[in-house]
Formats: sequence, structure tokens, C-alpha cells
Amino acid sequence: MWTARSTLKFYVGKKRGRRSDDHLHEYRRGVAVPPFAICPVERMVGVTTMAPLKVDGDARAPLLELRGICKTFPGVRALDNVSFPIWPGEIHMLCGENGAGKSSLMKVLCGAYVADEGELFHHGEKIEIKSTLDARKFGIAVIFQEFSLVPYLSVAQNIYLGREFPGKVLGTIDRQKIRSEAQRVLGMIGSDIDIDAPVHTLGVAQQQIVEIAKALSQNARILVMDEPTSALSDTETEHLFGMMRRLKAAGVAIVYISHRMAEVFLLGDRITILRDGKKVATLLPDETSPGDLVQKMVGRKVDAIHRRGANIKAGEVALDVKGLSGPSGISDIHLNVRAGEIVGLCGLVGSGRTEVARAIFGADRVTAGEVTFFGKRFTGGPDEATRRGVALIPESRKLQGLALIRSVGDNIVVAALDRLFPSHVFHPGKAGKVAQAMIKKLRISTPSARRAVQVLSGGNQQKVVIGKWLTADARLFIFDEPTRGIDVGAKAEIFALMYDLVENGAAILMISSELSEIVNVCDRAYVMREGIIAGELSRERLSEENILQLGMHHE
Amino acid sequence: MSEGALAQGMSVLGRVPGVAFVLVALIAVFASMSPGFSTAPNLTNILVQSSILLLLALPMTFIIMTEGLDLSIGAVLTLGSVVLAAVALATGSLTVGFIAALAIGLAFGLLNGWLIAWLDIPPFVTTLGTLGVAQGLCLVITDGTSIVGLPSGLQFFYSGYFLGIPFPLVIAAIAYAVMHGILYHTRLGTYVPALGGNREALRHAGVNDRVVLAVIYGIGGLMAGIAALLLTSRISSAHPTAAIGMEFDAIAAVAVGGTQFERGEGWLLGTLLGVITIGVLRNGLNLLAMPSSIQVICVGLLVIVALFFDGMRKAQE
Repeated sequence: MWTARSTLKFYVGKKRGRRSDDHLHEYRRGVAVPPFAICPVERMVGVTTMAPLKVDGDARAPLLELRGICKTFPGVRALDNVSFPIWPGEIHMLCGENGAGKSSLMKVLCGAYVADEGELFHHGEKIEIKSTLDARKFGIAVIFQEFSLVPYLSVAQNIYLGREFPGKVLGTIDRQKIRSEAQRVLGMIGSDIDIDAPVHTLGVAQQQIVEIAKALSQNARILVMDEPTSALSDTETEHLFGMMRRLKAAGVAIVYISHRMAEVFLLGDRITILRDGKKVATLLPDETSPGDLVQKMVGRKVDAIHRRGANIKAGEVALDVKGLSGPSGISDIHLNVRAGEIVGLCGLVGSGRTEVARAIFGADRVTAGEVTFFGKRFTGGPDEATRRGVALIPESRKLQGLALIRSVGDNIVVAALDRLFPSHVFHPGKAGKVAQAMIKKLRISTPSARRAVQVLSGGNQQKVVIGKWLTADARLFIFDEPTRGIDVGAKAEIFALMYDLVENGAAILMISSELSEIVNVCDRAYVMREGIIAGELSRERLSEENILQLGMHHE
Repeated sequence: MSEGALAQGMSVLGRVPGVAFVLVALIAVFASMSPGFSTAPNLTNILVQSSILLLLALPMTFIIMTEGLDLSIGAVLTLGSVVLAAVALATGSLTVGFIAALAIGLAFGLLNGWLIAWLDIPPFVTTLGTLGVAQGLCLVITDGTSIVGLPSGLQFFYSGYFLGIPFPLVIAAIAYAVMHGILYHTRLGTYVPALGGNREALRHAGVNDRVVLAVIYGIGGLMAGIAALLLTSRISSAHPTAAIGMEFDAIAAVAVGGTQFERGEGWLLGTLLGVITIGVLRNGLNLLAMPSSIQVICVGLLVIVALFFDGMRKAQE
């Protein structure tokens, strides 16, 4: 009898046969695999094994096979001749930079896009997926990052939304049957979530499980997951991985999109790499390494971020912070930034980096300490900070930094209205000229200053934010995660822009979670740990190891 | 053990909505200030007076849970009353008049639903527009005056008794039971919080969200038609401004009851409490000889106070 496992062996031959212990080697090799990951599934708490799911059709054929899938949008070849099979019982990692075509591929699979060219085979039979309904018919379910759950319905009601079992009277529903079926599906994946709990009371991880249960209740055999761990804690991640292994053992195929190397090597049975809409390779984890993978993902662009040359002409002190403490959890913060310097502020997520930035900017209350901008004491709020030439460029560009539906031009001039129009009368012609000059200066690629910001790419949006503050004559820039959600090419441009800024005498305080960025871009850096400055690293001592050394918790 | 029981008691208390406390407080205040308040006839009177508002507030709860709003419901109720009277006078049949009122209510409700669901016009704007249309039609039909001389049998519907229970209460109880059944035991009701909470999910589940939305607004219009019967019976005539502005009380009752204007959060029992609270407030102020202008101010304050308490509790959580 063919099982999912033997099918895989048949397909990949001798190269399979990794044991769970193999992960240990990777951990030792320095791949950052979290310790829990080494624990074999069977030993994890509360695990029940799932009965193998019924396989319809020919089990020797792949569950789904993509052949020569192409999808073109005006000006963009989103998918270019992508082919690969998806086997039952495998976790198939999909890797690539932003814009490599992962999302488009996912949308083709779930029927949101229809491929221009290429064929799909389901158990060896040619199929067409033209709608989400088609995808569901062939057992394909996508777990999106933004959940398709209704917050004020119960878990059970969400699982069977739109597929309620009819009650005795026309139009009514059989609530008891919905509950018992939901319980059965959740039991199948070994979850103990209360089926009567309203979904809004659940955490992200539990909501994800409800999504998975919903997919399985629709007889999904292929689960497509888009960065499912991006919002999960370590324990939650552990549970999710346990569940994925059980699903896999039962013959479900999982297509998993991830940016985290550790996950790719920990979970992946095979890894498919996309770049610029093309498939670069499908590899076994044993055949590759994180470095190799990055190389393949980025292609020639791998050296986009050069380490910046040493900076010698640091000028006046632009920002001086002494003993700053506040109710947001930061205490006794001392730091300074000089004109012409890029200073990093790093530390683990939650160490208080953003809180420091907000406190400096006057956006959060402080209880002690003082902030000095360009030699003058500052005690006001964000509006006053802006007038003093300080710009905070926040992490969530879309929420805090830009008016998305307004034009590029409007966004560029909005912070400088007082300066540009002292008489308080708006002059569209003058605003247009200023915006046009800034678009040219920063090489913002937009068809026109009148185009809405939301249609621009992440990198160009970030440039608009920078342009906005340049127009407002800012001389001290506080960047919070300036490269989040921006692809490698645009990152390089943003950094070039930052170098330009400091060349021209601006000062930059940069918060980043990407240690390599801090090391390559900054002149020196402060490392935070649990709300305090754990240490300062000069350029000579600035390395990823030293940052981690200072930033990690030492119990 | 007793500590656990206490904690459990506290958590039960924590789930009681702000409106319940406000209601109890109001009853205590009015009972101590006016001797006539806590008599059986007056309390019955409060419930009877609240029945029309309940008929509007129940569908309003559904509509607000879909992240919608129906500003036209007071005007549609008035139009229903005017149509009922006019048709009853012309045909001599109350039944035909009532059917006409139901039809005009349903038509306006479905019109609202169509404009909102298919043409994507925001509910606020849509129903503001139909409010104007309905109000204008009232004036056109009545020429600005009251329609009087209706059959005397009409009075039964507001002042009569059925098995010893005031007839409006019977209607209100049936309406509540039906709406409760719809919200919690039918497909349609399941889709109400889904429309407000995650419309995309509903579409992905293969449900025609537009039809559902139109039906919900249609129910609102239909309920306004039923309320028109009680309203016309109450004043034994139809007046072109009889229930103008009643959407204010209806929306206030829903808000006071704890239904949120986003994410599809809401519950029907809260709306019932909200309606009774507003009824108690207006009745108590009446007994204290406060003019209706003061009453409107107090209803406004009530909304703010109730939502303030709910907000405080949410912040604590």
C-alpha cells in the first residue's frame, strides 16, 4: 500500500531519510534553530496522532503539480514559467524576496488569480482553478496572514461559516451539530480550544488553529500558509509546528512561505526558491545552507549593502539625552547623536527602542531626564519637536507616516505648510514645485506628484516620508525600522539616501532589528535590554556578536 | 471556596452591561422622587410606551451590527402611519391600510439595502437621503395636516388587551422572540455579525453578502411598518411629523444597550434593556413635569454616560 511517506521516498530516492536528530547538527552548525525545535513531535505535550486522511485518486501522482505557470500584469511578469509538484505529506517551503512571486503563486493556487499560461494537475488529472470555489473543490486552502474569521462569532460558527447544517425549520441552523462537528475537527488536530469561545477572545495562534480547522473541515489536502509564525510567541510557534507535523503525518501537504531561515531548515522537506517570478531551484534541506539559500534568493544583489566608510567629520551634538525615564518602561537612558553621524539603537523586540524614540520626540510622557536638540533643552510635544527640525519616521509607515490616499505631492509638503506658507494661504503652484523638486532629488519613482501614495512600492513610500521631513527642514532624523517590508534593492537606495543626509550635516538615530544593517550602516550603536541602555558599541567594536552579547538576557 | 465564589460573582457582575446599572439607578431615583412612578399601572404604561421604540430598535441592532445605520427608520415609520391612514380612509378597510403600511416600510427598507449593498453608498448617506424622501412624501400625502376620522376599531391595537395583556406588549414580545430566533438560530442571523466583523470572510464562504444586507434593511422597514400600526392606533390619527426623529431614540437604545458600531459586536437583550431605560427616563421626567426638550437632553446624556461606563470597563480589561 502506498503511504504518503513511501511516495516521498519513491520520489526523492536515497536523499531522504533525515531523522529528527539531524536538526541538532544544524543547531550546532549555528543555524539559529530555537531549542524547542529539537524536541521530537512524539514527546511534545498533548500530542495525539491523527489518523491518515483518505487519499482520493492515484496516490503515486503528486497531490498537485504546477507546470509552466505564468502570470503577467501590466509591466510586471509576476510568475514566469513556474513548475513544481506538491506531494502529500510534505512541507514545501516557498522562499524568495518581497516581489519574487510568492504571493502571486499563492493567489493562483487559491483561485484569486487565474494563470495566463501553464497547467495544473490534481492527482495527475488536468484541472482549472478559476475561483476560490474551484480551489476548495480540489482541497486547496490558503491560511492568509489576515484571518478570514468573524470576531463576534464562536469558534464552531466560524469553522462552519457559510456551511451551517440546516435545522428542522426552514432557514434555521442545527447549532448542536455545528458544535459537535467543530469539536470533531479540532479534536482531529489535537486542539483543546473551546468551541463556544467567541473568536475575538482568542490569541493569534489560536485563531490560526481555527483557520486550519476551518480548512480541514472543508476537506483541504493542501494548506498554503503565509508566514504563519510572524505574530506568534515561541510556545505558540512550537504548538503550530507540532500540529503541522501531525497534519503532515496524516498526508496533508503544506506549502509554507517563510522568511525565517531557522523555520525553513527545521520544517522543510523541500525548499522552492523564487526570484523575479521565476523558480530558481527546488532543493532538499540537506543539499543547501542558509547562506546558499540567501544567495539564490537575492541573486547578484547580495552585496547591495556595503559597509559604509568610516566617518570622521562628526559635528555639533544634535541630540543629547540624559537620564530619560518614562512610564512606557524605559529608565535612565543616556545617549547622544552628532551631526553627520548615523547612530544605531538596537536590542531585541520589546527592549524599549521604539519607546525611547517616542519619548525623545515628546510623543510619550516622561517622568525624569532631559532631552536637548541642537544645544537647546526640549520639553514640548511632537509638534514642537517638528518645529525644532526633528523628524520621527515611524515603523508603521502606512499608519503613522503617510496619508495613503493622498497624493505624493500632498504628503511631501504636509509637514512644511507653516514654513512654505507663512501667510496660512495654500498656494498649489508653489506646493507642486516643492514636491516636484523633492521627487527629483530623492528619485521617487512615481508617474506624477498627483499619484496616490498607496500605489507606490514600499521603498518609494519610505522615500516620500523622508522627502516630507526634508521639505520641513528636519536636521535630526529618527528612523524606526526604515527597511521593514522593503526589498533588498530599495533598501540599498534608502541607505544611500541616509548617507546623503549625514553627508549634508543631518544627524540620524536608526532603530533596526536587522543586526547586519546596524553593523554596516551605523557609525556606532547603543544596545538596549529591558528598557535600559545595556551598552554602547564604537565602530571598531560594532559586530552582530557584540550586539547580541549585550542585548540578550542573562539570567 | 468562598473566595472563588466571590471571584465568580464578581466576574458575573463584570459581564453585566453598564445599561443595567443605569436602569436600576434611574428606577431608584424616580421611585423616590415621584410617588406615582412605582405603581403597577405606570410601570405597565412604561412598557406599552416602549413597544413602538422596541420595534425600531430591534432591527436597528441588526443593522448597526453590520456596521451600518438606518437614519430613515423614524421617517419611514411616520410614512407608514400616514399611508395606513390614507389607505384605510380611502378603502374603508384597516387591513388594506395595514398591508399598505407594511408594503411601504418593506419597500423603503429594501431600497436602503439595495443602495447600500449594490451601489456601495455609505449607510449614513443612503438613509439620510431616504429619510428626506420619506419625510417629504408624508407632507405630500397629508398636505401637512393630520389625517383624522379613522375607524374606531383602530384603537384596539394600542389600547386593547389580548388575554389580559396590553396588545402592544404582545406585539413587542412576539417581535423580540422572532428577532432573537433570527439572530441566534438562523443562517441569516449568523451572517449579521459576520457582515460587520469580516465581510470578506463571508464572501469567501460563498455567501451572497449583498442579499443578506438587503434583507436586513428590509426587515428594518417591515418592522417600521408594524410599528406604524401601533403609532396610528395610539394617536387615533396620522400626523406627518408623528415619529420624526425617533431614529435618535432607536440608535440611542442600541448604543446604550452595548452594541458596538464596529466589528459586529452586539446583543439583542442589551437593546431591550436600552429601550426600557429610555422609556423609564422619559416616563420619570414626564412625572416630574419636565418638558420634552429636557427629555431629549437627558437621553443624549444617558448615551454618553452608559458608553462612558462601558468604555471604562473595556479599558480596565
